[in-house]
Amino acid sequence: MTDVTLTINGEERSASVPPETSLLRLLRDEFYLTGSKLGCDVGDCGACTVIVDGMPVNACLMLAGQVDGRDVVTIEGLATLEDLHPIQKAFEEFASLQCGFCGPGVIISAKGLLDRNPDPTKEEIKDALSGNLCRCTGYTKMIEAVQDAARILRGEKEAA
Amino acid sequence: MRAFDFVSAESADQAVSLLSEHGPNVIVLAGGTDILVDLKHAKHDPDVVVDITRADDLKGIEVNDEGLRMGALVTHTEIMDDPYIQENFPALVHAAHTIGAVQTRNLGTLGGNLVTCVPSMDSGPALMALEAEVTVAGPDGTRRMDLEEFFVGPRKTVLEHNEVLLDVIIPKRNLGKPTDFLKFGLRKGQALALVNAASALWVGEGNTFKDVKISLGAVAPTVIRAPAAEDFLEGREITPENMAEAGRLAVEDAKPIDDFRASASYRRDLIAVLTKRTLDNAYRLAQND
Repeated sequence: MTDVTLTINGEERSASVPPETSLLRLLRDEFYLTGSKLGCDVGDCGACTVIVDGMPVNACLMLAGQVDGRDVVTIEGLATLEDLHPIQKAFEEFASLQCGFCGPGVIISAKGLLDRNPDPTKEEIKDALSGNLCRCTGYTKMIEAVQDAARILRGEKEAA
Repeated sequence: MRAFDFVSAESADQAVSLLSEHGPNVIVLAGGTDILVDLKHAKHDPDVVVDITRADDLKGIEVNDEGLRMGALVTHTEIMDDPYIQENFPALVHAAHTIGAVQTRNLGTLGGNLVTCVPSMDSGPALMALEAEVTVAGPDGTRRMDLEEFFVGPRKTVLEHNEVLLDVIIPKRNLGKPTDFLKFGLRKGQALALVNAASALWVGEGNTFKDVKISLGAVAPTVIRAPAAEDFLEGREITPENMAEAGRLAVEDAKPIDDFRASASYRRDLIAVLTKRTLDNAYRLAQND
């Protein structure tokens, strides 16, 4: 077994899992954080995207043992009891999702972008979302939502 | 995934001793963007996985007496974000940017891309055109070789089971050498190259090609150089006609195959076009210096 202790959404969590457990399985099966989705399981679809030490990564492509001592943010770490995160609100306002399966990964990728680049161009947003496959929407409304959320996070616009 | 044991190395030396201790059925894990997929598809069934992502001596980008050193664990994102590389080697930034997508560029490493050694790797051509060398660490110490010697065949390098790739070095004489990289894939994101190519050159007296190096990917069992095209250009005047002729000669240097991504005949057309364009772009970079 591999023993891991890591910070997930600001809280220290520990588990003992078989060495072949991926970070995604660790999150979903050990900690019941099922917001990160199991899609392709090979790093193509981005539905499992989480932020590790500030960088968006595919949780399906890391082993649990590799995240021991590291800081992980999942979709569950964005909203508070009172309020959605501005990116989540913008996705709601712009009706950016249809079935929603890709949503947690897309929103985490958008957060990863805006944390590093508060004023991205449309091309930079497309690049940041290119590892997240959505088969419903065509991406246009997601890109608009990320642009709107960026304006709100920069303080140029009041949240809806 | 089938069961295996997991151990973590804090340094390259420790990785080598763990690999020697647990070998030969061991596998090195770095960024994991290829290895995790192979483990899930049972292409590998190792007894032990040695994680090297905590080995700090395999990280970092620096210019030293030998040239530009990039640790094997440098991620594609780190290459894209490095100010020195942005300034001096835009081709390396571009090559890194064409790999996978943000998530896989944040995980995937330069060393991993070279060690996995698929013919379509995007890290190979620009480095090979810049005559990069690699350092390998094993139980008997380290050895240094040209990148071309490091590649043996598809998914095969010179690495023994108890050796790790330490770093990649672009020699001092090539720092700032005008270089261009182009990839032809079917999409911008998450696509493998049908063909990729890089050219590096200096402009000699009388506007001639000097020390021109051309490298091609996805057109042979490993990334290759194009010696016939290079020899033709050396010392000749820099003209569009000569660049086009080099493109035609580069086709003869390659051995493209038919596969589900593209036909050999399509790849031959791409080789000629990408060779010509990378030469042209590298020359434009040289003029801007």
